[in-house]
Amino acid sequence: MALIEVENLSVHYGTKGQLVRAVECVSLSVDARESYGLVGESGSGKSTILRAICGLAPITAGQIRIGGQPVPTPRGRAFSRRVQMVFQDPYASLHPRHTLDRTLSEPLAIHGIGGSDARVVRALEDVGLPANFRFRYPHQLSGGQRQRVAIARALMLEPEILLLDEPTSALDASVQAETLNLLNRLRDERGLTFLMVSHDLAVIDHMCDRVLVMQHGRAVEELTRDQLAGAQMTTDYARTLFDASADRMLGA
Amino acid sequence: MTLLSVKDLRVTFDTEAGRVEAVRGVSFSLGRERLGIVGESGSGKTMTGRSVLRLIRPPGRIEATEMVFDGTDLMAASEREMRALRGQRIAMVMQDPKYSLNPVMKVGAQLTEGLRLRDGMSAKAAHGKAIEALEAVQIRGPERVMEAYPHELSGGMGQRVMIAMMLIPNPDLLIADEPTSALDVTVQAEVLSILDGLVRDRGMGLIFISHDLRLVGRFCDRVLVMYKGRVVEELEAKNLMQAEHPYTRGLLNCLPRIGGSRAPLPGLDRAAEWAE
Ligand SMILES: Nc1ncnc2c1ncn2[C@@H]1O[C@H](COP(=O)(O)OP(=O)(O)OP(=O)(O)O)[C@@H](O)[C@H]1O
Ligand SMILES: Nc1ncnc2c1ncn2[C@@H]1O[C@H](COP(=O)(O)OP(=O)(O)OP(=O)(O)O)[C@@H](O)[C@H]1O
Ligand SMILES: [Mg+2]
Ligand SMILES: [Mg+2]
Repeated sequence: MALIEVENLSVHYGTKGQLVRAVECVSLSVDARESYGLVGESGSGKSTILRAICGLAPITAGQIRIGGQPVPTPRGRAFSRRVQMVFQDPYASLHPRHTLDRTLSEPLAIHGIGGSDARVVRALEDVGLPANFRFRYPHQLSGGQRQRVAIARALMLEPEILLLDEPTSALDASVQAETLNLLNRLRDERGLTFLMVSHDLAVIDHMCDRVLVMQHGRAVEELTRDQLAGAQMTTDYARTLFDASADRMLGA
Repeated sequence: MTLLSVKDLRVTFDTEAGRVEAVRGVSFSLGRERLGIVGESGSGKTMTGRSVLRLIRPPGRIEATEMVFDGTDLMAASEREMRALRGQRIAMVMQDPKYSLNPVMKVGAQLTEGLRLRDGMSAKAAHGKAIEALEAVQIRGPERVMEAYPHELSGGMGQRVMIAMMLIPNPDLLIADEPTSALDVTVQAEVLSILDGLVRDRGMGLIFISHDLRLVGRFCDRVLVMYKGRVVEELEAKNLMQAEHPYTRGLLNCLPRIGGSRAPLPGLDRAAEWAE
């Protein structure tokens, strides 16, 4: 049984008589300890799938199961200990008037977990931020520094599943490498499962065992890592994405 | 011809935790060309871009021995003169698109506001112009997006709305801070070709801040490589992938590759002397 199962998921938004079919009948399943990627056109529904899993987007049709159980509504505390999300937009997801210390220790306080002091220091260290950043506010950080705080926050509760929405697209090459290495190390050590969105096929190739290509809210094609690297796609859209990523190939 | 010249730019923050020197003596000049700025997170790219618009909030301070845009001394200009330049002649696409859009105002109203109030365009004409701008950046269903609030847009749509908004007044200088980081490769290529067209056909100057080295190498004319608030290397963009500075080489080595090994990616050993 897969750990994450998304079955025929549709998410529609109705705004002023206009129906937006953000996600249309998408199915995917991710095994425990697997890393699964989502790629595709901007606006094709990738973030919406992650948000639906977390209860932040309406499920119009279909089912989402974690460990065989349909996700509860509202998701609740047990869910948030198991599943954490890193949002695409680190600006919007950090509270502007909370110091990093507060941002990182709050999840622990909510769940009644002690030892927050040591854990905050450790979390900053894990994502490569100096300990003296602890009392800074988000506006005192660069874009990439904020993204690292968002990743550190998601790790505070030691979840089993991480939903990662463009976790490194705001990061430079060196911090991206450190972050990807950190994520892979944690996946090994703690047996984590990832569902991650990225526009960078090289990042997907490095991180993911399988990838789903999306366009216009629909699943276009699922590829294994070997099929991706071996250019064995069958749909035109997946081919187009691949061809446009020629500068990311080994040896390019 | 020089559009912008910056000499010995410094940006300093005096915080409770001590002094942060975000930019430490950056100099460059820009013609009607595409200048890339790359460098690791926190190296001062955004602060350099914002300084040109004098958009550094206190306690941040800007100092420069020279900062001149098309004959205007930006260090001496009054706040009123700066307001007249901002958005009109010098535009900046911020790294945080949703943060710089008004969350409680529809996208369409934000796009047409300037055209109606400043340029005195009719509501209908402004609407048409905004739709055109959205179509240019490959937004599907621009009518729907005009009626949407920023939170109803995807990450990449927000980014493209920002680009459309900044390009509507036809600026002479565009500072684009990570403008395509949320775009898939095919949409990204379209957006870059628009920017490219503006530089070539209209003679706009472009400062393109990005951590995507491969993209900058392909797209820009020249590149500044920043490290800890300084420019460590300036080179022709086409030579970026063959850069010789150990820092630039280090950055290039950290990149994952399609079909590459899944072993941990090489890190970057930062040598203290690069910051000197
Ligand atoms: N709250 C909402 N109300 C109305 N439409 C919405 C809402 N949230 C998202 N949408 C629409 O759903 C579609 C899918 O958005 P989503 O954010 O999932 O795209 P994405 O694949 O993550 O794109 P990107 O790569 O640009 O981040 C878009 O057309 C978007 O405008
Ligand atoms: N208000 C502030 N107070 C103190 N330090 C600040 C403040 N704003 C920015 N800084 C610091 O200035 C430095 C340069 O920031 P800047 O935003 O220019 O980086 P950047 O090169 O754009 O990085 P990124 O690629 O992550 O966006 C960073 O180390 C940042 O922490
Ligand atoms: Mg998204
Ligand atoms: Mg920045």
